Amino acid sequence: MTEHTVASSYKIPVGPLHVALEEPMYFRVSVKGETIENVELNAGHVHRGVEYLATKRTLLQNMILTERICSLCSNSHPEALAMAAETIGAVEVPERAQYLRVIAGEVKRVASHLFNVGILAHLVGFEALFMHAMQVREVAQDLKEAVYGNRMDLGAHCLGGTRCDMDDEAIAFMRTALDKIEPDVRELEKTYRTNGSILRRTRGIGILTHEDAIACGVVGPVARASDIQYDVRTAAPYHVYDRLPVEVPVLDGCDVWSRAMIRLQEAVNSIEILWVCLDHLPDGPINDGGDPYIPPGQAIARTEAPRGELVYYLKTNDEPEPERLKWRVPSYPNWDALTFMLKEAKVADIAIIVNSIDPCISCTER
Amino acid sequence: MNFLQLFAHNLTKGPFTDPFPFEPAPTAKRFRGKIEFDPETCEGCRKCEKVCPAGAIRFTKTANGLEFDCWHDSCVFCGNCEFHCPTNAIHQTQDWHLAHVQQDKFSMVEHGVIPSHECPSCGKPALYTAAPANKIKGFSEAEVAEFRSLCPKCRGKYLRERKSRS
Ligand code: SF4
Ligand code: SF4
Repeated sequence: MTEHTVASSYKIPVGPLHVALEEPMYFRVSVKGETIENVELNAGHVHRGVEYLATKRTLLQNMILTERICSLCSNSHPEALAMAAETIGAVEVPERAQYLRVIAGEVKRVASHLFNVGILAHLVGFEALFMHAMQVREVAQDLKEAVYGNRMDLGAHCLGGTRCDMDDEAIAFMRTALDKIEPDVRELEKTYRTNGSILRRTRGIGILTHEDAIACGVVGPVARASDIQYDVRTAAPYHVYDRLPVEVPVLDGCDVWSRAMIRLQEAVNSIEILWVCLDHLPDGPINDGGDPYIPPGQAIARTEAPRGELVYYLKTNDEPEPERLKWRVPSYPNWDALTFMLKEAKVADIAIIVNSIDPCISCTER
Repeated sequence: MNFLQLFAHNLTKGPFTDPFPFEPAPTAKRFRGKIEFDPETCEGCRKCEKVCPAGAIRFTKTANGLEFDCWHDSCVFCGNCEFHCPTNAIHQTQDWHLAHVQQDKFSMVEHGVIPSHECPSCGKPALYTAAPANKIKGFSEAEVAEFRSLCPKCRGKYLRERKSRS
């Protein structure tokens, strides 16, 4: 008689394809039965060498290249680069351009957050809600296409201002779109707050305690769902954020559900900010040709991307190409926190937990 | 959210997808699509070539003049060329119909030539580029046409002479 031995724990690979989104993340998960014991993160599947490439391109080209580092935060990258270059060159950004920059950023935030909570519904298996969330997001997508000419890469910024002005027609279009999307987003927020299917799969799942969140240095909605009140827009206001009604919602649930709720509340707040911006949009120039002189120097700029704090470091010399361009993206610390969130979790919850940090692999591995 | 209500709404107000390709898909007025180049208004400053992050634009000097090529398959539709072009000679259109078969991939090119001709003043070969807008302020139509036909050297001379005349 042969003896069968059953190992008490197994290692299973998760990824690199289709963990939550169609982006390559790879985890080696040790499981005991249904429960995760340990997680190893593996990175590097979509490393494209963009940081090196950026030092071979002029600043004007980099305004476009950096936009293509990430698709959902695409607006924040050139924004931060422009802010760093403007700091070095002591370039003043006209007031109208500052408002337009806020508008571009907040429209992207609404679309990005709706996409994430939509995917959450999909992973929960609630396809009707997923379709509805995506349909609501489509209003924001149409808005971007109508005002900026592209659904994802807005090309809103240039050095020293913005590239794309909003005429009366664009403003009217935006007002109609906001009118349409606002009640829907509020309704979505209510649904995610009360719907049994969502609550059963997301409450108490993927816990990242306040202490662990601080230890990992997480940012964005992930941090705010672990009771860390930190948002660059209020901590170090840029553009005209100090004049706008920015609210920084925090929750202490520390779970997947709290992160989704933070995103939905932020989407509502972004719409409020957009209304105020449209009402107070001053007249005036929006740029000064977009090609200011940037002397040698170095600077750091921070913006609040939809996923959290985005930090840019720029060092220029006498060449039109930067000597060094480096960025710290929000998904980098948040990704690390997954090891804490996935501990003791069930295998079936992996995708939901991974999605809850709204991972962006392409910008983390650049 | 009442999903029955939503269902009824979608049933009566839908569908929310476009029936493309059976009907044309609506395209936004500001849509940033395929590049178009107009050699008539181009100053030949080559700024667009310099700012294009994708390297989609190339100018080549040939016997015909200055030849412009923009490879649609390399272009990322960023609009940097249009933004930095001083004359709007290069601009994006609403056209996004760029699907093509594999063997056509190298012919998906926007081509234009800024012709070379003889400078009527000195007889040397010169490019028939548009005159820079900031140089021809206050020029009459005939003056613009004359100025345009000159080579860079004679253009400089023309400007100096015109200034001393006035
Ligand atoms: S298309 Fe515009 S940017 Fe390009 S060379 Fe002509 S004038 Fe200059
Ligand atoms: S749109 Fe962008 S990628 Fe395309 S030709 Fe112009 S600068 Fe180059």
